[in-house]
Amino acid sequence: MPLDLAQVVSQIKGLAARLKAGQREREQHLELALGTLRSQAADIQSLRSKIAASKTTWLVAGLTQGLDQQYEAPPRPQDFTVLATDGSHIDVDRHSSVPCYLINIGTAVLHYGEKADASLFSEPAVFSGDELVILDPVGGNRVELIEGALLGVKRSVEECAAVARTANELPPERPALALLDGSLILWGLTGQRFPEFVREALLEQGFLKVLDSLKGLSQDRNFALASYISFPRSADVVNALRVALCPYDPADCDRHCSGKRPAAGRECDAVAGIQDRDLFRMLLGFGERSPVFISGSPFMKKYYREHEIHFFYLKLEEEVARVEMPRWVAEREELVDLVHALVLDQCRRGHGYPVALMEAHEKAVVTNADRERFWELVEIALFEDGLEVRSSGKRMSKRLRWI
Amino acid sequence: MSKIGEIIEASTSEFMAQCYELHQPPPFGSLVKAREGEIEIYGVVCDAATTSIEPGRHPIARGREEAEEEDVFRSSPQLAKLLRTDFSALIVGHKEGQKLYHYLPPRPARIHSFVYVCDAEEVEKFSQSFDFLSILVAAKGQADELIAASLRHAAQAQPDPRRFLVIAGKELAVLLGAEPNRLNTILRRIRR
Repeated sequence: MPLDLAQVVSQIKGLAARLKAGQREREQHLELALGTLRSQAADIQSLRSKIAASKTTWLVAGLTQGLDQQYEAPPRPQDFTVLATDGSHIDVDRHSSVPCYLINIGTAVLHYGEKADASLFSEPAVFSGDELVILDPVGGNRVELIEGALLGVKRSVEECAAVARTANELPPERPALALLDGSLILWGLTGQRFPEFVREALLEQGFLKVLDSLKGLSQDRNFALASYISFPRSADVVNALRVALCPYDPADCDRHCSGKRPAAGRECDAVAGIQDRDLFRMLLGFGERSPVFISGSPFMKKYYREHEIHFFYLKLEEEVARVEMPRWVAEREELVDLVHALVLDQCRRGHGYPVALMEAHEKAVVTNADRERFWELVEIALFEDGLEVRSSGKRMSKRLRWI
Repeated sequence: MSKIGEIIEASTSEFMAQCYELHQPPPFGSLVKAREGEIEIYGVVCDAATTSIEPGRHPIARGREEAEEEDVFRSSPQLAKLLRTDFSALIVGHKEGQKLYHYLPPRPARIHSFVYVCDAEEVEKFSQSFDFLSILVAAKGQADELIAASLRHAAQAQPDPRRFLVIAGKELAVLLGAEPNRLNTILRRIRR
């Protein structure tokens, strides 16, 4: 038996006990967070100024409309289209001598209303040779292999590119929403993990270029781009409340609190452990959305130009979801309304999750059996061409599993 | 002659086809045909089913809030792409050149061969001989239902349906001489 569940059970019991012990404290934190949110809502201008002047170690949401407003879902149009893409990949296998990877993009286009129709398809692409690396265009021998986390980023770019390809073919007179899964911020590129030329290639020359074209498309029609995050773990809005609770003005975590341990002596820790979804679950009614906020990510602020990522929270029957959109959607009220109405409508039709995203995922998914079959096909093709296929001893041992 | 679907499984005695249109299989007992090179293979539709295209995804009830059944599909347009209608046909004969044979063909139909619904003229020609009945009599499952349905269907293509059914009944009396209960069951189902 690979995993000894008998040993695991007792540890899980301990986990549950710890969670229960922290529950009371969490409730107090949530209550205080809600109280702070309501009191700050009366004068968001001064909170906005304090946020702007503060230096914090966590991401703080930018405020646009306010803090505690609730927006009811506007009516959805009679005829409309929802399009979604999702992707999955087969990573480079370092135990195989064949360097290549595969990205499979699934797309769902759902037309509702008078001419209800659907189109579901997948576009698998195998990458090899020059496509395996990102080269530093300035010269030198600097290259970055596209694998692991970087392949995840590349896949996000491909998902967005597929949205743009399909969106271009939509009838312009029909209101349309394009949905991506997860964040519109390419978190995989943040921090110091990759050199500048990698960011340049994937973000400037990749993702943002696609957003440019989608923005262009949106200019003369009712077309919105948004992404959907189920069960979000973000705390951008709670962090804005932390700034409000901070006794220093402006707040400067490194200067005033660098020696203090979290949850010990920092006033802002009175809302520790609370996430935005906890807050808005209490605040919003079913189908309502929060005000629109701006992501506090410094990476996003630095590079996303006019595509600055905005977001709102949406209360559904079972959860609070986070919906992100670029500035050119967030600034047009009719597009925010369209995103709100159609995401809610999709979740209703999909029993709690957008149908279009679910169908795109179904078209994108690569199973373990597919993975094995893919490598078999690669090996057969090479063998037929008279090329030698080597693979590592580790891979062989996993395949054969002898006793 | 209308193209209705495409073969997805085939043997010398049976084939299964996927319909181009959801929920529109040819009627149970009707005569269909597919081509294998120079041979035309005839089958009697013996089963049809609409299922999910993926074995792991099952349809769920969706119509509680809808007034009409069509609204379920209008509200979830992807359904038409996630469901499929298949039908099976029992092979009852074939044609080589201009000659009709009421027994099994030498080869199965090819996968992806188109399946056509036979028109009245072709049904009439094919049912001039009752030799195909022995294949249906030996069929597995609901053979008696299938025989009755195929005879009712063939009768519609005849200039004198009543006379056709009377002769068919006599043929069956010979084939099922030892099984009077079965014979009665079928006769009750083709009586007009």
